[in-house]
Amino acid sequence: MRRDSAAFLAPAGVVLALVALLPMLLVVWLSLEQRSPLLGAARFIGFDNYLRLFGDVRFWNAFGNTVYFTAVSVALEILLGLAIALLLRHAFRGRALMYSVVLLPWAIPTVVSARLWEWMYNADYGVLNYLLGTSINWLGSPAWALNAAILMDVWKATPFVALLLLAGLQTIPRELYQAAAIDGASPWTMFRRITVPLLAPLILVVLIFRTIDAFRVFDAIYVLTGGGPANSTETLSIYAYKLLFQTLEFGYGSALAVSVLSCVGLLTIVYVRLLRRSGK
Amino acid sequence: MSRSRFEDERRPLHSHAGRGPIAWGILLAIPLLTAACTESPAPREVATTVVFKHGKLFGDTTAFEGLLGQFEREHPGVRVRSESLPAASDAQHQFYAISLSARSAEFDVLALDVIWVAEFARAGWLRDLSALLPAAERAQFFSGPIEAVTWEGKPYALPWFMDAGVLYYRKDLLDKHGFVPPKTWPELARIAQAVRDKESGMHGFVWQGKQYEGLVCNALEYLWSNGGGAVDSDTIALNTAANREALAFVRSLLTSGVTPEFVTTLTEEPAREVFGRGAAVFLRNWPYAWQLFEQEGSAVRGKVGVSVLPHFPGQRSAATLGGWQLGVSKFSKHPQAAEQLVKFLTSSGAQRVLALAYGYNPPRHALYQDGELLAVQPHLRTLETVYAHARPRPVTPHYVRLSQILQAEFSAAVTGVKTPGEALASAQREARQRLP
Repeated sequence: MRRDSAAFLAPAGVVLALVALLPMLLVVWLSLEQRSPLLGAARFIGFDNYLRLFGDVRFWNAFGNTVYFTAVSVALEILLGLAIALLLRHAFRGRALMYSVVLLPWAIPTVVSARLWEWMYNADYGVLNYLLGTSINWLGSPAWALNAAILMDVWKATPFVALLLLAGLQTIPRELYQAAAIDGASPWTMFRRITVPLLAPLILVVLIFRTIDAFRVFDAIYVLTGGGPANSTETLSIYAYKLLFQTLEFGYGSALAVSVLSCVGLLTIVYVRLLRRSGK
Repeated sequence: MSRSRFEDERRPLHSHAGRGPIAWGILLAIPLLTAACTESPAPREVATTVVFKHGKLFGDTTAFEGLLGQFEREHPGVRVRSESLPAASDAQHQFYAISLSARSAEFDVLALDVIWVAEFARAGWLRDLSALLPAAERAQFFSGPIEAVTWEGKPYALPWFMDAGVLYYRKDLLDKHGFVPPKTWPELARIAQAVRDKESGMHGFVWQGKQYEGLVCNALEYLWSNGGGAVDSDTIALNTAANREALAFVRSLLTSGVTPEFVTTLTEEPAREVFGRGAAVFLRNWPYAWQLFEQEGSAVRGKVGVSVLPHFPGQRSAATLGGWQLGVSKFSKHPQAAEQLVKFLTSSGAQRVLALAYGYNPPRHALYQDGELLAVQPHLRTLETVYAHARPRPVTPHYVRLSQILQAEFSAAVTGVKTPGEALASAQREARQRLP
């Protein structure tokens, strides 16, 4: 039996090793080299790229932007997603329609919705300034641009969070609430003592997905601002793209990519620990 | 800078959507294609095939193919295969750098953006084309493009067609309020302010202020036209009094309202759109916009004037040079035939054909006296003066890196996050640290 399963898993394992593990190890190897097609032969330089990274102001700026983007957008997505899930749990007329409407942002490819938002954010004739009666330079001012990107990400990812949490809510037995009601518990107490604890494992799973996704954010920002103005929206992935695809610094760019990977890895480990603890 | 000319919406030959399926298609097709290539032997009578790689340049390729046909007839035994790369400039740069660093002999002639020549020449990927450019021939070209293709005293590419920043203005509005086109930057600011105050819903002066390559092109024009610049006798010299003063003026355009704040989101096409719907008095853009303003249905048709960009009092105008050059790969197996093709495509005759068919501006002076060409494109008269002032961005093998630093720091100065002095000082520091 065990041998059978190994045989069935083998093809998938081989494919994963070829398309995921091997390139990843290659990137780690590249990050130890000074390598750029413009400089001729590659040279092994050990951890020099990483040392350079620590002293790179632009890296720390990108790191700060990425952490801010991730923290704010994921927090908002979880809160809003939970609120929407709680609303959708109750049967009401037009619920099916609501499901589809809520899902729409998630269904649109990011590049397309980023283009839509770019138009809405247009400071000259954009609909957002028109509706708000403001003249905010959404994408062109360093104070607003990253927040504008966060708003778009929240709009896009909240449906995903809402849907997963809704599925979680539906697994909580009704009897628990009925019993609590008989005992005279207020809705707030029920939410705190029943909903939150039973939903916690799922919230953690959603957190893992969203954090990893947000930490690697690239496409939305690439379309909205390209990292500007004044590098105020340059995230780690945007910086890595500029190093790897524009200045062709393959060694240094790989070091940056590996550091992003390590951050995501660390976050995942922390979450999984939390998940185990909450499971006990 | 011609980057976005090839990326803009008017030539949407490689759409972004659906790249996935296309990519898969290509992947699947590779084995089939290579199989096909190895099995079908080349026609026996053809001795040499020259492969010409370039970004997607032409909508309707008839005139271009006509030129290649003419070359083949004039050079029996040589065939030309024209292969185009994705429209995005970054993608082309990457393709060339990776193929050439692997010493690929897959292509012989390549079209180079003006900012790549020094980089590729230093890497040893381009043939020295001195033989094609004796002094008498060199004198036929404007000096800007010649400077751009020259690395350590030798030409490594030949200018094919050129581009430079120009000022568009609303002839009708300037006449109406009794102004003549401005000669200096302060005049431009004054006129823009005055016209804007009298006309409702107008912006004063729009340009390209987003953090990207175009911002560097715009900013350098202010630095140069104040006697400054990025490089002085081969060293980076950014934090100078002239540069600080020029950048402070740029910032003042935004704070005084001459230029709308949202200029920091504009690239070429959005800026053209603002002016093209009649919502701005002045626009800085590349010559391509002219034909679009003059086409039928345009809101500003017949109301637009073109001129040389202004300068600071007591200084001279400058325009950032863009455009494409032709080089020969060091790894070409047919260097003679490849050089012949470069010579032919950059000849007066070929440039004239391209100018007539596609509106690409030739880098040779003589064509600006060509009666037939001037009859169709009268604005070439103004462009001749512009091109005489056109200057290449710093000719250094590390231009792409330098540009990334400049983009961020100029953006910081324009948005007011840093003072001009702070931005220039940190650009200077970064450039010294990051450029080998």
